[in-house]
Amino acid sequence: MSLWAEVAVAVLLVSSGLFVLVSALGFARLPDFFLRMHPPALAYTVGSWCVSFAGALYFSLLEGRLALHPLLVIAALGVTVPVTTLLLARVALFRRRAAGAPDTPPPLTPPRAP
Amino acid sequence: MSLFALLLLPFAGSLLTAVLPTRARTALAACAGLVAAVAAARVVSLYPQIRDGGVIRETVSWVPSLGLDLTLRVDGFAWMFALLVTVIGALVCLYARYYMSPDDPVARFYAFFLAFMGAMLGVVFSGNLVQLVVFWELTSVVSFLLIGYWHHHVDARRGARMALTVTGAGGLALLGGVLVLGHIVGSYDLDVVLGSGALIRSHALYPVALVLVVVGALTKSAQFPFHFWLPRAMAAPTPVSAYLHSATMVKAGVFLLARLWPVLSGTEWWFWLLCGAGASTLLLGAFIAMFQNDLKRVLAFSTISHLGLITLLFGLNSPLAAVAGVFHIMNHATFKASLFMAAGIVDHETGTRDIRRLNGLMRSMPRTGTLALVASGAMAGVPLLNGFLSKEMFFAEAVFLTAHPTVEVGLPLLATLAGVFAVVYSLRFGYEIFFGEPSTDLPRHPEEPPGWMLKPVELLVVACLVVGVAPSISIGPLLAAAARPVVGGDLPEYHLAVWHGFGAPLVMSLLAIVGGVVGYLWLRSHQRSGRLNETPFFERFNGRRLFESGLVTATRLARRALRLVSSRRLQAQMFTIIGVAILLALLAARGVPLVWGDRERLPASHEFVLLWVIGMVCAVGAAVMAKFHRLVATTLMGGAGLVTALTFLWFSAPDLALTQLVVEVVTTILFLLGLRWLPMRLHDPSRRTTMRDRVRRGRDLLLAVGAGAGLAALSYALLTRPAPQSISPFFLDRALPEGGGTNVVNVMLVDFRAFDTIGEITVLGAVALTVYALLRRFRPPAESIGRPQQQRVLPSDVVTDLVKPRATGERAGGYMMVPATIARLLLPFSFVVAAHFLLRGHNEPGGGFVAGLVVAIAYLTQYVFSGTRWAEGRAHLLPPRWIAVGLLLAATTGLGAVAVGYPFLTSHTAHFTLPLVGEVHLPSAMFFDLGVFAVVVGATLLILTALAHQSIRAHRPPAPNKRTEAS
Repeated sequence: MSLWAEVAVAVLLVSSGLFVLVSALGFARLPDFFLRMHPPALAYTVGSWCVSFAGALYFSLLEGRLALHPLLVIAALGVTVPVTTLLLARVALFRRRAAGAPDTPPPLTPPRAP
Repeated sequence: MSLFALLLLPFAGSLLTAVLPTRARTALAACAGLVAAVAAARVVSLYPQIRDGGVIRETVSWVPSLGLDLTLRVDGFAWMFALLVTVIGALVCLYARYYMSPDDPVARFYAFFLAFMGAMLGVVFSGNLVQLVVFWELTSVVSFLLIGYWHHHVDARRGARMALTVTGAGGLALLGGVLVLGHIVGSYDLDVVLGSGALIRSHALYPVALVLVVVGALTKSAQFPFHFWLPRAMAAPTPVSAYLHSATMVKAGVFLLARLWPVLSGTEWWFWLLCGAGASTLLLGAFIAMFQNDLKRVLAFSTISHLGLITLLFGLNSPLAAVAGVFHIMNHATFKASLFMAAGIVDHETGTRDIRRLNGLMRSMPRTGTLALVASGAMAGVPLLNGFLSKEMFFAEAVFLTAHPTVEVGLPLLATLAGVFAVVYSLRFGYEIFFGEPSTDLPRHPEEPPGWMLKPVELLVVACLVVGVAPSISIGPLLAAAARPVVGGDLPEYHLAVWHGFGAPLVMSLLAIVGGVVGYLWLRSHQRSGRLNETPFFERFNGRRLFESGLVTATRLARRALRLVSSRRLQAQMFTIIGVAILLALLAARGVPLVWGDRERLPASHEFVLLWVIGMVCAVGAAVMAKFHRLVATTLMGGAGLVTALTFLWFSAPDLALTQLVVEVVTTILFLLGLRWLPMRLHDPSRRTTMRDRVRRGRDLLLAVGAGAGLAALSYALLTRPAPQSISPFFLDRALPEGGGTNVVNVMLVDFRAFDTIGEITVLGAVALTVYALLRRFRPPAESIGRPQQQRVLPSDVVTDLVKPRATGERAGGYMMVPATIARLLLPFSFVVAAHFLLRGHNEPGGGFVAGLVVAIAYLTQYVFSGTRWAEGRAHLLPPRWIAVGLLLAATTGLGAVAVGYPFLTSHTAHFTLPLVGEVHLPSAMFFDLGVFAVVVGATLLILTALAHQSIRAHRPPAPNKRTEAS
């Protein structure tokens, strides 16, 4: 494997680690639930992308043939992350409204009888 | 047609009628009648072989290693019974065509009817005592179904249950008796048993065997004190009564007595048991029959009485009496079946069976009237009819008996008295309803029934007449053939004739007839004036009441015993189970030192240890959270499961890992669905922890740690030892060359041990159906019936962006829009993944089980995100059909091997080349795996959707408990 390829893989891996670190920091430090939701959804996903690309690149070059199956991780995350994030947000919203918390965002459409 | 074919014919007919259209009366009757007629013709054609004491035997070896064979054995007596069963069966089929209403689901009727015929043929053909008991119980079960045919009537249900309880209990006693007999003789074969009469009678266990066998026979033949079920069984349709309760099933008891007569009779025990039961039944049945006002009940009690007569005849220990008993079995079957049919016709045409309301029917239905009159004449024992002959033989036996003086005097008196009663009830049946002023207030205007409905009655009545007038020509040879095996081969001297000269029996007959007429007139005048409307003396002694109070007492005792030894509290049950398990394990391990083995250890890797730490934290967390936060506990359990799956993967068991993963998903969904129905448990801070709580918790902790640590130690001790020699190398070696696949796990499942797998998927299907059936009757506790708290926050009909899709008209909208859309997109991909797993399963990790779970999960996701109604409105899943198709597919694949001459489930691999795809390797086990796949999909979906349906069902709060209110 050429040096350039090795450098590219290494850069991808290190940046993935950085993204995950940022995500973890944000998850631990951000003050509000709705804010805290974002780092695992965004930064963490980008980190996973980086690892997947690194894997695809590394094994393609190492074995001399196209090894794209690490990219399936990206597809799977594309399915699960929006669903979990949305459901979590909805649950939090629901609970706050039910409890009458003061800093709850207002509904997009006001409640009305059918 | 061999005997086995003859025996199977009615069962095959039963299956055929069961699948015909349920109201095709004519086709069904024709089918059933044809089956019965063919069977009857075959039975008739056996006559030359058994005429002179010949015996036909056929044996199929079944479990030769246990000495179990299926043996069919026909001698003259069995032949005579088979003739009764098939001929009367055919006649009743014809009769039932006109009797059953167009609204009745007659397919069920004929199916049960033919099944009963088969069971009865099984009883009479059995050449093995245990086999006889099996068919005996089968007749009880089928008769239960037939009595309860009109199951919307409460008396039909009760009558059926009572008949089943009594005859079933008797069958159990019979089984015991047969086992004792087998123990004495050393064989269950009928021929061997029949040949060892002296051995049995002199054995110490003889009384035990005798009492048990006799109890079986007496319950089946409705003999005192077990007679009470027969009148209640009259709730059955009349063809059933004509067939089962006069001609065949109730005769099974006396059949057994006659069958074992050469072996068991000839002792004091036999004499007193059977004569006691027979004589009291004869008198009691006839006495009660006189006072009945329901036509069928008159006939029922008369049947009881006649069966008592037959029992008495067999009990007299005289060969001549036994011949008379056999003769009376035949005669009674003919006239009683025709009388039942006549009663059914009267009921059918007038709408009532009440003797008090029926009068002068001779005007409107002369043919029925004449036939009923002749048949009741035979029942009463009028000369020139068949009943007279056998009754005459009985009288002769009663007079010439040599026994204790009281018996010698008492028996003729009793016989005459019973004869008087018989004449009285026959007159009530025959004379009272057909003569006198025609009644005007009947529910229906009576008229003659269709000609074909009368044909069976006519045939039977003609038989009564022919036998009665010319017995020695018509029935003589048959009776000789039938009676010879009963008395052990040597027929006594007897003479069948109408005129025996003027002697004591004739005097008794005449006395009975004259006394009967006088008694009838006396009874009628008393009944007309309003006295004697109930049975005197015996009204208070009520077998039914005894039976029911017995049942109630038994239930109460069982409940009390249950309360004594069991608990409804889950905690106590768990404690006992685990405690006993630990105790047993410790007992088993007594004296065995716990030492670790010396197998070479693998070095621990950091990642793996970390993985297990996570798993353990999840597991302990789940246990901690289980009390107040069940949802959290479920999630943590999922985490522990995931770690288990990864462990499997780590140790190179990808198949297990894959399966564990999908099973984990399904289990979590199952738990979540179940959580909805558990009542909420709230932490109550005001409640102080008492000393008792601490002790209990400590005890439970000790138990839990003991069980867990014990299992862990055991596993470690085993894992550190070298693997014992097992059959796993065999599978590893043979999987590729003989199974044609590199995935050993899958080859084992679908090839080497496919028979196990077929059993397992059958169990899976059965479990799914059972869960479904149980959940149909699911009644949640009162406190969890209301909607969960989350759904109560907003009124369900308010439209906001927070509403569940359920409330927005099932449009899968609201906040579930995004997940639902993604889940829908995922469905086709899941199918691709499942197909991939299924196809590569033979060589790579995968297989039908995993593929089935993947598809099931894909569908369940639709349920989760879009709601039950939405999902089911769009996909017609029909899980039971998946299960059925899967089982059929698996079984057919297995049978395919049989068809080409290999053992069941042998696999074959086809290799061929397709364009584009290249070489294809297609084992027949693939289709088997497809069956597994379908069963798994069906079972998973059935169980989970059945639970999911509870959430959209309307649950009513339970009715206030009557029992607790009363107490």
